[in-house]
Amino acid sequence: MEEKIISQGNLVSFVGELIKNNCMVIGEDKKGLGWKRITDAGEIKINHKDIPSNISYKEFLFPKTESIFYYKNKKEDYELVEAPEFKDKIVFLGAKPCDARSIEIMSKVFNWDYKDKFFNERADNSIVIGTACNYQDEFCFCTSVNLSPSTEKGSDLFLVPLDENTYALKIVTEKGKEFIQPYAKYLTDGNITRTQETLAKVKSPEKKFESGKVREWITGNFEHKLFDAIGSTCVGCGQCAFACPVCHCFDIVDEECSYECGRRMKNWDACQFGLFTLHSSGHNPRDNQNKRYRQRIAHKFKYYTDKFDEVLCTGCGRCSRGCPVGIDIAQVAKEINLVANQV
Amino acid sequence: MNELKQLGKDLLQNGTVKVIIGYAEGTTPNRAKPFIARTPEDAEKLVFNKYCVNNLAVYLTRKEYKGKGTVGIVAKGCDVKAIVQLIQENQIIKDDVYIIGMNCNGAVADLGKADESLAVKCLNCKVHTPHLYHTLLGKLEEMPKTEDENLKMIQKLDAMTAEEKWAFWEAEFEKCVKCYACRQTCPMCYCERCIADKTQPRWIESSAHTRGNFSWNIIRAFHLSGRCIGCGECERACPAQIPLTLLNRKMGMVAFKEFGYSAGMALDNPTLVGNYNTTDREDFIK
Repeated sequence: MEEKIISQGNLVSFVGELIKNNCMVIGEDKKGLGWKRITDAGEIKINHKDIPSNISYKEFLFPKTESIFYYKNKKEDYELVEAPEFKDKIVFLGAKPCDARSIEIMSKVFNWDYKDKFFNERADNSIVIGTACNYQDEFCFCTSVNLSPSTEKGSDLFLVPLDENTYALKIVTEKGKEFIQPYAKYLTDGNITRTQETLAKVKSPEKKFESGKVREWITGNFEHKLFDAIGSTCVGCGQCAFACPVCHCFDIVDEECSYECGRRMKNWDACQFGLFTLHSSGHNPRDNQNKRYRQRIAHKFKYYTDKFDEVLCTGCGRCSRGCPVGIDIAQVAKEINLVANQV
Repeated sequence: MNELKQLGKDLLQNGTVKVIIGYAEGTTPNRAKPFIARTPEDAEKLVFNKYCVNNLAVYLTRKEYKGKGTVGIVAKGCDVKAIVQLIQENQIIKDDVYIIGMNCNGAVADLGKADESLAVKCLNCKVHTPHLYHTLLGKLEEMPKTEDENLKMIQKLDAMTAEEKWAFWEAEFEKCVKCYACRQTCPMCYCERCIADKTQPRWIESSAHTRGNFSWNIIRAFHLSGRCIGCGECERACPAQIPLTLLNRKMGMVAFKEFGYSAGMALDNPTLVGNYNTTDREDFIK
């Protein structure tokens, strides 16, 4: 893998030029709230030492609300108008491995049978500039879901902070290589040994559970008594799903946009909502919060893995950090491991 | 807190209560989380400390507990306000709840952080000792004096023009992702079918765009006027950090100024919106 060096000053100039070239540069909000479009290169910060933002950058790939087409009333007919194509280049800057992986994981479901053009237009136009991560707290568990704070998986270009003013820049994918070519003037020759030494020092969070075992156990224990109380304190909000970098459920609704025009919207939805599985007959197969929480765990560690050979989780810990009632998904998975080991 | 564990154990053992809604330690010792104790052994896990910030009254209206025997609840004064308001609104029956009242010296606003500033609700708290309980536990201590920044912000907003207020709330609501954590953590949002979830017709757009976010947040503020007991759970739960207490507290201040009503404080009185008094002001009707 090719490797270069970029100084903090050059990184600012590089981002400045990207902004000038109409790239949507998306960086983590300084307040830690979410990610936002950077308009002033001077304010960029690679948050490799900071707590992940409350909400991931998913919304730039899969917006919280999005029009998929418009319809207009005519006298005796109606007219359908396609939503405009998304053509901007998106650059995610400073994505920790737990964020960087999200596009690849979500791509699988958005390209499984139906190819979701809305997601693909954005994902195909995205470049992920990842960073090695020097943050960890009690909620981080990337190492339990096949990731690590120093992996370049998911990134097209990968920064390794060598010191306050210097980053190693690993060129990970062909897409990344092509993208960085016009900006080669900002890069100098790399020092692979120094990068390797730095990466070796990155501390990994301890492995909290075996995701494979969670999957195996759920397979034969769908009605296990552990699930009878698993959601007993869950209040059924969508914080976990909406903060998550890979939760991808959505709802389709029609709404008016003016007197003569309506639009069909694709809006975030969450499996913890009571209405999520409510049938029009009134029957609800997941009629209590325990069943809904079981679904959350099973989708992340079993169903998605069964279908796509991928855990639907990057271990960022946002769902647990933000849960208003303190439900910690890693603790739940650990508990399942414990029960599985008892058998 | 051995007395709490003991009481919990006794109540569950002798069948006074079916379950106890309380707190247990969270992921780290500087966090607490809601916990449902179902057996006398479970009661061992009950804790009460300054990290017990959640308002547990939110669980009382759940169908697994409502009308299914006496439920024990560990409650601070602010939680009791919610319980009282729920009784006033005929959502729970007084005799169905066994209140383990806790003398409270304030709860930490942001769990797990080095900064252990108290929650906004604690700053002007008048119910350090709950106003309704079956058993009272814990000791009162001197509380640190803290500036009420939240009130200052309300005053600042009051002084703004309508356009400025609109711009302020537009920027705040823009961030809303419609996760409904505000509603789900609110003990007063107990509707079996929230207006936001109604689809025939759809009164509130589910889209999280400016228009949909305004209609949701403003309608919620109206529905809580004179009902919000000020626990601040909505704001604490909001992943987008929308300062919802500014809205709800302001509405509460108006209810008090105009009608002398404080939500959750008077068990035997009718609710503000469920009551008509011939001396009520009418000069706003034009």
